[in-house]
Order: sequence, then C-alpha cells, then structure tokens
Amino acid sequence: MMNGYVVVIGGGVAGMEAAGQLAENGCLVTLLEKEDITGGHLNNWHHLFPDRRNGNEVIEYLHKHIEHDNITLLKNTIIDSVENSRNKFIIKTTLGKELNADAIVVATGFDLFRSERKEEYGYGIYDNVLTSADLENRFGTSDLSLKNGELPGRIGFVHCVGSRDEKAGNLYCSKLCCVTAVKQAIELKEYLPESNVFCFYMDMRMGGALYEELYMESQEKYGVNFIRGKVSEVGESFNNKLIVKVEDTLAGRPLKMELDMLVLMAGMEISEGSRKVGLALNLKTGENRFFASIDNHYGSNRSNIKGVFYAGSCTAPMNITETISHARAAVSEVMNYLKKC
Amino acid sequence: MGKLYDLLLEDVRFEEGLKACMNCGVCTAICPAAEFYDYDPRKIVDTVQKKDEEEIIELLKSETIWYCGECMSCKTRCPRGNTPGFIIMALRTLSQKLGYFTESEKGRQQLAIKRTVGENIFKYGYCAATYAVNPHMHPEQGPIWEYILENSDDVFERLGGQINGIGTGPLRKIPQEALDELKKIFEVTGGTELFETIEKHSKIKASEMGLQFNSEGTDNDYFVEVYTANNGTHNAHDT
Amino acid sequence: MNIEGKKRIWSDYQKEIADDHFFYVRSCIRQSFFPGSEQFFLNLMRNILKKDVYENPAHTTCTGIAYHSDIVPSATIMTVIARHFALMKESGYKNIAISCVTSFGLYTEILETWKHFPKELEKTREYLFKATGREFDIPENIAHTSDIIYKFRDEIANKAKNTLVNKETGEPLRIVEHIGCHYAKMFPKSGVGGAEFPNVLSGMVEAWGGKVIDYPERRHCCGFGFRQYLVQANRGYSVSNTEKKFSSMKPFMPDMVLTNCPGCTMFMDKWQYTIKEMGGVTYGADGESVPVLTYEELAGLVLGDNPWDLGLQYHMVQSEPLLKKLGLEFDSTDKYKTKNGKQMPIPKNLINV
Repeated sequence: MMNGYVVVIGGGVAGMEAAGQLAENGCLVTLLEKEDITGGHLNNWHHLFPDRRNGNEVIEYLHKHIEHDNITLLKNTIIDSVENSRNKFIIKTTLGKELNADAIVVATGFDLFRSERKEEYGYGIYDNVLTSADLENRFGTSDLSLKNGELPGRIGFVHCVGSRDEKAGNLYCSKLCCVTAVKQAIELKEYLPESNVFCFYMDMRMGGALYEELYMESQEKYGVNFIRGKVSEVGESFNNKLIVKVEDTLAGRPLKMELDMLVLMAGMEISEGSRKVGLALNLKTGENRFFASIDNHYGSNRSNIKGVFYAGSCTAPMNITETISHARAAVSEVMNYLKKC
Repeated sequence: MGKLYDLLLEDVRFEEGLKACMNCGVCTAICPAAEFYDYDPRKIVDTVQKKDEEEIIELLKSETIWYCGECMSCKTRCPRGNTPGFIIMALRTLSQKLGYFTESEKGRQQLAIKRTVGENIFKYGYCAATYAVNPHMHPEQGPIWEYILENSDDVFERLGGQINGIGTGPLRKIPQEALDELKKIFEVTGGTELFETIEKHSKIKASEMGLQFNSEGTDNDYFVEVYTANNGTHNAHDT
Repeated sequence: MNIEGKKRIWSDYQKEIADDHFFYVRSCIRQSFFPGSEQFFLNLMRNILKKDVYENPAHTTCTGIAYHSDIVPSATIMTVIARHFALMKESGYKNIAISCVTSFGLYTEILETWKHFPKELEKTREYLFKATGREFDIPENIAHTSDIIYKFRDEIANKAKNTLVNKETGEPLRIVEHIGCHYAKMFPKSGVGGAEFPNVLSGMVEAWGGKVIDYPERRHCCGFGFRQYLVQANRGYSVSNTEKKFSSMKPFMPDMVLTNCPGCTMFMDKWQYTIKEMGGVTYGADGESVPVLTYEELAGLVLGDNPWDLGLQYHMVQSEPLLKKLGLEFDSTDKYKTKNGKQMPIPKNLINV
C-alpha cells in the first residue's frame, strides 16, 4: 500500500524521525543527507540533558527507525535544483540523480553560531577558549587538559554567545544553551571535583522539564557558581591565563577574573545547507533567518509552498524531544496533505 | 511620561543611545569610570529607562553623571544597541540647561572647562594650543612642557612650522573671518547660549558659596575652587 | 596566541581608504604637542609619495574636546563640521584626512547620525547657511591619517633604511599598539580590522619588521576622559587608567608603545613621568620608561629621518633606548639645536636620560 512518495531533506534527528514515521505510515521515502553519516549534531553530543543519558542511545533508536524497506537513504547528496509543477516536485541532486516527489519534508536543521564572530571572546585566537561543542567532544574522549597539558582549576561558562545580541546579528534566545551549560558544568565538576566552575549568565532559561531541578542540583550538589553578568571581554595574561571582564550585576560591581579555561555557549542559527535548500524551493525565512512557518500556533510545520513541510530546528531552536515531536507532527501534516492530493 | 524624559527625548543622542536595557552589564564590565569611580553605567541606563521624574532629577543633580570619560567603550558590545555614553551626554546637557549641574562638585567644574577650552575656541579657533596650556595648571606635563613654552619659536621652526604663522602650518593664526564664522555658528546653534547658561548658574552658585567670582579668567576664587576641589568621596566603594 | 584567528578578523573589516587628493584637517593637541608628526605626514605624502594633500588655512578646531566635555551642544559641532565640508566643496575635495582620532570619531558619528536622522542634516544645512552663507556636500571618503599611513605601509617598507629589529638580539622589536577609543569602538566597520583586533597599527608594525605584543588591557582606554583630565581635580581618573595599562603590559616587556591618537600619545608619555615622580615606578626593562611614539614618528625612524627633526626630544620619555635597539645613528649634540644649528638650552629632568 503506497500512500505517496516523499523526499526528506536532511538526515539529522528530525529527518530520520520523519522518514521512519512516514515509512510506517505507508509512504515511500527517500532520505537525503549531505554528509557521509546520518544523525547530524547528535553524533557529537556525548550526554543529553536533562537526565544525562547517553546520546548514542537516541542515535541507535533513530538508526533502527530508518531501517525500513520503504526508505532509501542517499548519503553525500546535496540538492541542485527543484522544479515544482502541479503538486509534483522534480528534485535534481548535484550528483545528477533525479527524484520525483509528491511532498517534501525540509529537515535541514541548524548550525552552531561560529564563535569566532564574537571576536572579543578570542575563540580561535587565545588558547583554552572552547565552545560547548568542543567541550562535549572532550567529554567523549575524556580529555580536559589545557593547551599546556595541565588540568584546569578554574573554568568559566559564557552564556548567550551569538544569541540575544544585536552585535552578533541574532536577537533571539537559542533556548538550550543555559541548560547545556548547567549540564556541562555538572559534568566538569564530576571530572574535576576540585575545580571552580563559574557560569556567567544574563538570565537562567530553564524552560524544559527537569531543567530547573538540574540547575538547583548544580548549585546544591556540585557548587557551581553563578554570576549574573554578560562577559564583556576576554584577554590573555602573561602566563596564559584567561582574564575575563564581567559585571556582577547583582552585587553592582565590575569584576576581572582569572580563569584557566572558558567555554562559550554558542547559540543556534539556521544551517548553511538550509539556505541553499530555501533558495531552491523558494521558502520564506523570518527576521531571525530561520524558516518561517505560515502560522505560529497551528501551522508550525507548514511552509509557504504547498506540499513542502518543515521538521525540526530549521524553523527555530529546539531540543531533541521537541525535534522528534515536531518531526512526527510534520508527518501528520504530510499524511493529511497526501490524502487530499 | 514625565516632562524631563520628554526633554531628554528631544536630544538625538538620547534617542540613539537608549533602546531598552536588559541589565546584562557588559558596559559596566569594561567602563574605565566604573573601575575607579563609584559609577555604574548599567544602573544609570536602567534608572533612566524607568522614566521616573524624581529619579531623573536626582541624577541631573548628582555627581554620578560627571564620572563618565566618554570613551564610548560601552557602545561596542551592548547586545541591545544602547550607548550609555550618549545617554550621559544628554543628561549632562540637560543638567546644564536646567541649572542643576552646580549642585554637584563635579558638575560645577563645567565652568572651568568653559573658561579654558571653551574660550580658546573663540580666541584662537583651537580647543588647545601651546600658549593656552599653563604649566602651573598642568604640572603633570613635566619639565619638558615649560621648556617647550619658553623655546616654542625655535622648537616649532625646527619641526616645520611657525606659531601664529599666516597661511598653513601647525598652530597657524586662524584668519579672523574664520573665527567670526565660528562665533556665528555658536550663536545660531545654541552654543553661545550654553556658554552663557554655564556662566549664569556658576555665578549664582559662587554667590551662594561665598566665593569671589569674575566674569572671565582663571584666577578668581570660584574658578580655582571648581578646578581643584575634590572631596574624596568619589571613589568606588569596594576596591 | 593564534595569528590565523586574527588575520581572519582583519579580512572581515576591510575599509575603503582614498589614495589621493586629501583635504587635511589638523589636531589641536598634535599641533601643540607633536607638530613634527603632522609635518612628517605632509612631507611624506607630498614629497615622497607625490600625493595631493591640501590644507585650507580657514579650517578650525572641530570642537571635539569641548563637545566631549559637554560644553558644546551637538547642533554646534554638527555645524562646525559641516563648515569644514563646505570648505572641502569650495576647494574641490571629496576625501578628508583627519589628524585627530576624536575628530575622526566625530566625523564618522555625525555622518551616521545624519543618515539615521535626516532632520538633523536638514537643520545643520539651515544653521550653516544662516551663520555663514555656506553650503556643503557629504564627502566621499573619511580617513584618519593613520589609515593613510597604513595604506602606504608597504611603500614605506620598500624605502626603509631601518627595520624594527633589535640589532643587539636580532629579534623583532616588541611593540605595544594602542588605538584611540574613538577610532573604532563606536563604529567597528570604520576602523581597519574592527574594534577588537584593529589592524591599522599592527599592520604598520608588521610591514616594518616589528612584532606586536598583546596584553590583557590592550583595548582599555588610556584614560584621557576629556573632563577627567582637563580639570585638575579629576586627574586621578586619567592617571589610574594609564597606570592600569602599563602595569598590564610590563610583563610582556615592550620596547615601545605606538599610538594613533593625540591624547593617548600625550598621556601614555606624560603619565609615566607623573607615576615615576609619585612613587618611582617604571614600566620598561632595567628601570627605564617605555618610549611612546606616534605612527609618523615611527615611520620617520623607519625611513631614516633624524629623530630630532621628528620631535622625539620633546616627549617626556626620551627615546634613546629605542634608538639604540634600532641601531640608529643619532647625534646627541643635535638634540636641542634650532633649525639653523644654534644651541638651545638643555631641558632637565627628562626620563631615560
């Protein structure tokens, strides 16, 4: 029983989940992924908030979900052009393959904000300034050493890097960095119990299930220090320590702190790959450059093009739980749409 | 919205400088004045955006608004696009217009600046010039300064100029027509009015303080007082 | 420190700098305290690089120091600057070369303000016409004179008689660069290399063989603070900020400080004297103080000019330790002579001598 032919663009969490659900619902699916492996950013995430479970387990679930006869997975595949006529889509890939689709699910995801753009934090210039993604990789290899091989004694987390920041070009909140910082701060304290860990925040955005409890735990059980102030500037001292300038706004005093390592909580932006797909499909983007759904409340999976649907973080920052839900919702929309075709 | 806030809004620097502040503190973190003075630009912006008439009057009369060094380091990184330095400039201008500046020790210093830099503009067409920098008022310039003053013609001749020369060159004599145009610009744009306002309120304050006041020059008691007085309470409390 | 990271930032902030036909406006402070520097710029541009740099004798102060001390309203300074634009129009110039950094910041800020608030531009046109009968156009290019020297740094390097290498050790000279706050902090795109890792001075240093030293307080204001210096009662602020910078750079052992702002050069020079007078503290190696130079003075040394024709003898901190490191030949007896070679008195109690 074939209910239609759907192409899913993007083999990350949203794309894999959407493909799996579509297959189970009787569609033929081609899943396109530009890299050599599926899984997207989740491949680089060691442990997930809020319960710190192993990221691999979710990847395994997703891999199993796309092991279905109805699904054809094309890796190393990038879209070249899309022709749209009378509710049929002809998709050409850069490798010369041509696909016909009744509906498209765009699941092209996000990129992390490139922290070099926040020049005053010195990423890529000073040693021992990492992003949250770098740190997560270090957790994966259990290597938390500084450039000189020693272990850090004082570590700072800088919230809102590339988010809520006109100067960085992104006004929105990336939603997940605060809880990621809390998670990583706890993990750091577990690796290095003697270390001093500081989180420099403007607001603690703990809006998901169990997030606030994790925050409390980080203070009560692990002694993570929270300083309310956005880091203004990072410099490097003569003995390679990082000098951080920030105001403790609750005390009303400017601080200059010496730290060994700094972790930048890079925000989320719509992925570079999304941009190209958006051009090929004529998709509208919002002021925040994410894809714009046609309705914020009951149409968040619907694009401005009939037959093209959105799944996941190409529409807005969202965590894995939300991404999977969003992908399932996209499938529901696709099924309803195919029935009417 | 109070009357003072409306007045502030008329200043284009205020309109440019205040969008909305979320109290992140990046400005205070790198502010040179915040380190050495009892000063916090974030608090000032937060106060002003409340639009509370009484709090704004208090600011206009306070020492606080005179601590800023107008380096504009606060503009570079504000995530909301504010510029505390511009807001300070609008507050300082309003404080002088309304006569509140003489309520604070730092505010009273405006007369000293007007009588030196301000009058230099009219007299010479420069904000500063060798002959207008008095070593006794500037001991920090060191012995080389007095030396340069005593030998300025020779110094300048070697370095390629002639003080008060006609035509081009360093510290050339600015033609009278140019000085006249400058004066007219000040009259037409409210510059002269601001100078007069500073003088007017300073004179009143001098009388209140019982200090001798001349209508020009730097050698009268009130001038010396505002130029040198420091009551020692301006520093940051936790150092 | 990863230089590749810095290079990427520099390539993001490429600024358009005109290459000829400049209308030159002087700096109040530099005219008084560093006249040799402005003269060097004009000589270099006109006689060596064969460029057209025009100085209109009717130009005045931009009133920037007064404006940033809040004794001059914004309408006034906009009109004063508009008058300079009118002089440019009258003299047929579209590019302006600005000697002072505060001034440069103001010209840039005012043009931005006119873009966002067109009514202010209208008002300024009215005021200027009413006061002087003049009309003006918006210039095509705004450059600070350090931008222009930066632009021609390779031409200068090609004619160099001295490179910025310590002749005793063979190592490049360790040079601290200090950029005036008003150069790029307000509008990062208006500065070569932006606000965080500006390239205008480090580009010169590198082109001429030296090595730029970074230190934690590099971006910190020198502490001029306008009213914080002009009024004696406030000078503690000014000296404290300079002290902070020198304390921070001391472990990195700079051979000299290079600045592009008139006030900064003056304060980083003079406050070293004041601090030494107050407590004997110095910031160079071996109890010496660190020479502070303008970019013209440094370019002049690179081109082999006589340091005493550049005016180095009129700083408080004398440059002999630097000249020795450069392996420059200089004649100490020529220091305090007039243009015609007559002996002048010798000033006493200078630093590093």
